[in-house]
Amino acid sequence: MTPFEVKDCALLARMSGLPPALNLRELRERIAVCGENVLFHHFCETTLRGTFDNPDYRNDFAVWSKLYLGERVLAERLGILDPYDFPSLAELRAATLEVLDERLSELTMIPWARPGDEFFFMESTTVVFDAGIRITQPSRLGAYIRKMTNGSVYYHFLEARRRPPIGKDDFTAWLMEDEEANRPYIRALASIDFYFHDLPHLRREVGRVLTEAKAAI
Amino acid sequence: MNATLSAYEGVVGSAVIRQLRQLGEKLAGTRIVHVNSTREGGGVAEILEWMTPLMSELGLKASWEVIHGSGRFFEITKAIHNGLQGHPVQISGKDWKVYEDVNASNFERLRPVLEEADIVVVHDPQPAHLLKLCDRRKGKWIWRAHIDISRPFRPTWKALRPFVEKYDASIFSMAEFAQPLPHPQFLVPPSIDPLSEKNRDLASVEIEAVRAEYGLDPSRPLLVQISRFDRFKDPVGVVAAYRMVRKVAPVQLVLAGGGATDDPEGKAVLEEVMEAAGNDPDIHVLLLPQDSHKTVNALQRMATVIIQKSTREGFGLTVTEGMWKGKPVIGGDVGGIRLQVVNHHTGFLVNTPEGAALRIRYLLHHQDGIDRMGAIAREFVRENFLLTRHIREYLTLMLVTLRPTQGNVVGV
Repeated sequence: MTPFEVKDCALLARMSGLPPALNLRELRERIAVCGENVLFHHFCETTLRGTFDNPDYRNDFAVWSKLYLGERVLAERLGILDPYDFPSLAELRAATLEVLDERLSELTMIPWARPGDEFFFMESTTVVFDAGIRITQPSRLGAYIRKMTNGSVYYHFLEARRRPPIGKDDFTAWLMEDEEANRPYIRALASIDFYFHDLPHLRREVGRVLTEAKAAI
Repeated sequence: MNATLSAYEGVVGSAVIRQLRQLGEKLAGTRIVHVNSTREGGGVAEILEWMTPLMSELGLKASWEVIHGSGRFFEITKAIHNGLQGHPVQISGKDWKVYEDVNASNFERLRPVLEEADIVVVHDPQPAHLLKLCDRRKGKWIWRAHIDISRPFRPTWKALRPFVEKYDASIFSMAEFAQPLPHPQFLVPPSIDPLSEKNRDLASVEIEAVRAEYGLDPSRPLLVQISRFDRFKDPVGVVAAYRMVRKVAPVQLVLAGGGATDDPEGKAVLEEVMEAAGNDPDIHVLLLPQDSHKTVNALQRMATVIIQKSTREGFGLTVTEGMWKGKPVIGGDVGGIRLQVVNHHTGFLVNTPEGAALRIRYLLHHQDGIDRMGAIAREFVRENFLLTRHIREYLTLMLVTLRPTQGNVVGV
């Protein structure tokens, strides 16, 4: 197997330039036209950003709907959207708009946020760099992951799913170079319901399942 | 004496420090100049005091320059500062001329270093005019706004905007604080230094000395709010909440803040607080000198619950400090407090004295909740609001600004 090259990444958030949304209809209109990086930021990059990882919902739209629009029904419907389930961001956008349109059709009044509670649309630039670590043995992958930064875990286990091969994390892609021998590790990684973990928790979870898989071999 | 990077390994882990060193290697030799208006006092100087040496340690050629000005200049920039935060202020054309002239005389002194720099970070409005004067600049110029300019007094913003819109980028602490500008607006929240006098671990003997100094009873619960005496911090509301709790629990309250005797409004608020406190021996109103970092640290560490019941707030670093000491925070549902306090996880957000009293009573009956929320709060700060995250974002910003970007990714 070729050595696994560990990368790291650092994220920098910025304003998207879209006007903030004050009500549900404005949220719908902005999501319909925003750049895909904006959508990606509010669904996926939340884990790398400095706010408390809201334990109820993993995406910013669901959190805002609950906290500032008082829309618990909508928050639940948005909250269950798993962005990594969609083959493209275009399809994620379509699904999000469908949820918003459905809720708008059910409501007799448009819910508004108070001034100061607007939804601000953001995006990020990510700097990717070589962490200078090479992993040669699949059996040591778990130990290395436990020492990785949040940036490395995010880049290889979450962000990787956006890159070819689409939908696959980098660790699994590497292990599949020798699929037969590494099947227990591949299965272990596939067992993680990763979207609902924060990064420190995800690092522990990935390390744990790989260690258990190693012990079972 | 500032701590070196390796001193932070014990707090954030070696992977985080290694990541900073790797980012620093990519920027080795980059000349970055910070410019602000004071070497001592205030949050910006505190940040630059640790950031400049740490950037140098990471291999950058980092320097920190301070502009000098007359008393009149600083009166004008204080008015600009207040205007940007939404207070109606009168700044005449003659005042703006003084502002420009002082910047021009500083520019002549700083010209060589500013012209040669790869990155110049200009902090707040005082030195903002320097960019227009530096027509032979080689590097990128970034304006760092540390204050909330989301709802400025329009004439002030209209006059300042031409000075800042020509920058290559700007930085705000939160999306909610920004103004639309014709360049990228990055978001970098502030941070605390876990090894500073205000946040370092204290020996129990140090904590007990402060407890004894202020006559606090170690056997009874203690509520602590640290903030200057300002109406937006609602100290009178905290006293009201305390009184509701005091009927059912033997709590003590500390309201401690920096000296405000030269601030007419601060003095008035302090008098209101003293009047609200009356002669209750369990309410301790402490007017502390600006450098009482260890006292503040000890008070936060001996608190049962930290309170920050603001009705308007910037980022709320006193919340971050309290959380770093492993305490749940009862905070006002405003500003940056919302980024940090989440109900039942790191504390409670409240809107009224009644809400604060309710949550205090809840916590006093749930010591396990205090311990659990305090532990979550400390880890949350470790992950997000220590200076290591802050410096990482500045390094990232430099790479984003200086290197070509493909889509939203910079490969280095």
